[in-house]
Amino acid sequence: MKLIVYENDTWSNLTPLSYIRPVFELRCGMYTLLERILNKAKTDDVILFVRDYLANLVRKKYKYPVNHVSELNDDLLIVDGKLLATDNFKTDKEAVYLCDNEIVYAFVKKENASKINGMNLAQILDFVKTLPAVNIDAKLMRYPWNFIHENPEMLKKDFISCGKKGIEGVFSPQAGVKGPDDIFIGEGAEIHPFVVLDTSSGSIFIDKKARIFPFSRIEGPCYIGEDTHIMPGASIREGNSIGPVCRIGGELEESIIQGYSNKYHDGFIGHAYIGEFVNLGALTTNSDLKNDYSTVSVYVNGKPVDTGDLKVGSFIGDHTKTSIGTLFNTGTSAGVMCNITAGGILPKFFPSFVWYVNNKFMKGFGLEMMLNTARAAMDRRKRVLTQEEEDVIRKVYEITAEMRKSYIAKSSKAKT
Amino acid sequence: MERQEIEKKVKGVVSRILGVDESGITSESRFVEDLGAESVQSLELVAAFEEEFGIEMEEDAALQVQTVGKAIDFISKYLK
Repeated sequence: MKLIVYENDTWSNLTPLSYIRPVFELRCGMYTLLERILNKAKTDDVILFVRDYLANLVRKKYKYPVNHVSELNDDLLIVDGKLLATDNFKTDKEAVYLCDNEIVYAFVKKENASKINGMNLAQILDFVKTLPAVNIDAKLMRYPWNFIHENPEMLKKDFISCGKKGIEGVFSPQAGVKGPDDIFIGEGAEIHPFVVLDTSSGSIFIDKKARIFPFSRIEGPCYIGEDTHIMPGASIREGNSIGPVCRIGGELEESIIQGYSNKYHDGFIGHAYIGEFVNLGALTTNSDLKNDYSTVSVYVNGKPVDTGDLKVGSFIGDHTKTSIGTLFNTGTSAGVMCNITAGGILPKFFPSFVWYVNNKFMKGFGLEMMLNTARAAMDRRKRVLTQEEEDVIRKVYEITAEMRKSYIAKSSKAKT
Repeated sequence: MERQEIEKKVKGVVSRILGVDESGITSESRFVEDLGAESVQSLELVAAFEEEFGIEMEEDAALQVQTVGKAIDFISKYLK
């Protein structure tokens, strides 16, 4: 069976997290959305469809064809990349499966699959709409906070389904486990003395080469990625999914960190989703609960959207940096490559690439310097900013320019 | 706009943002060494010049300008 995984124009509802990656690379539980879809589809014969400006980047990263279908002569599964795939796909009959009138996936028998050869995504989806429709319950991750909502439960399920348990790394005799032995410590990982792993409410998976420094407490369910360090004294509360090569200290609760990001020092981050190569200065904190206990709204595509949730933290785009003492308001959305400095009650929305200094939005030192900073940050973690990644960042700079300019203009007119 | 008027406005902005007395600002004054501008204040100066003169400057080039006189020259180019 061949598999098409696509992102459609709803990708912008997942910004800032989706600006420089396809939506199916976002993380929930121990895996990305794409990893889950591949696991449930049980095929490695894949075609990806992404927005044009990501195509070269995705082409370089994956071995799969991108934005092009040809030689279809097998059964075909077509899946929306923002699906949190928890169930097996139904492939017994040709149909399009819908949730709230939105396509979740479709199955096309090989006799008809060849009709799709040479089609673009819009044409494929038009074709799919002609198939018999079946309504299903599905988890489509339409907004960033959906990931936070689903993360704890997915962590629990993933631990069971991955089938790993036990200690392959080094577990200090002075460290302890409170609760059942639902832990996995990967090869080369180190659990230092006086660390407490509390599995009372869920499992803990610590991937290979991760290091948990003394006096840290990790509460399950939790996933800690490869080569991530949990700094001394950290309080990693329940429901966190931390990607690879992060440095995490202070307090973290029910949050997702894509990878390669630093929250080295004290400060609370809760119900948040942090992109890659983000650096949160010491004491950076976000509110995740309003004082009047009302539902939290978050800016999406420039407009506030009611999340319907009481606990929502911040959503921080890749390469964004915060100063020491930055205090994010409940439900803040900060774009990619922002530079945000502390100062009173901060706005709830930061357009990508802005500098926020002395309570004003500014252009900062310009894109070239931001790219140099990104190169330096990536070099520290043995990553190179590829030409494809740079091209994507430049494109995002272009498509976010209007929003950024309007905020800077309004800000400069405001009285200081 | 006449150079004299540009100079007066530039000095006014520099005085306001950096908190220095306007009488102590000359064309030769260096933003960092003489007037004590921090890197963040450089950003504020660029933003304030843009607002004052209704122009949009190329930030990389603007931040290379080191003296008040050079800033006047730089801004003058945008006003031609």
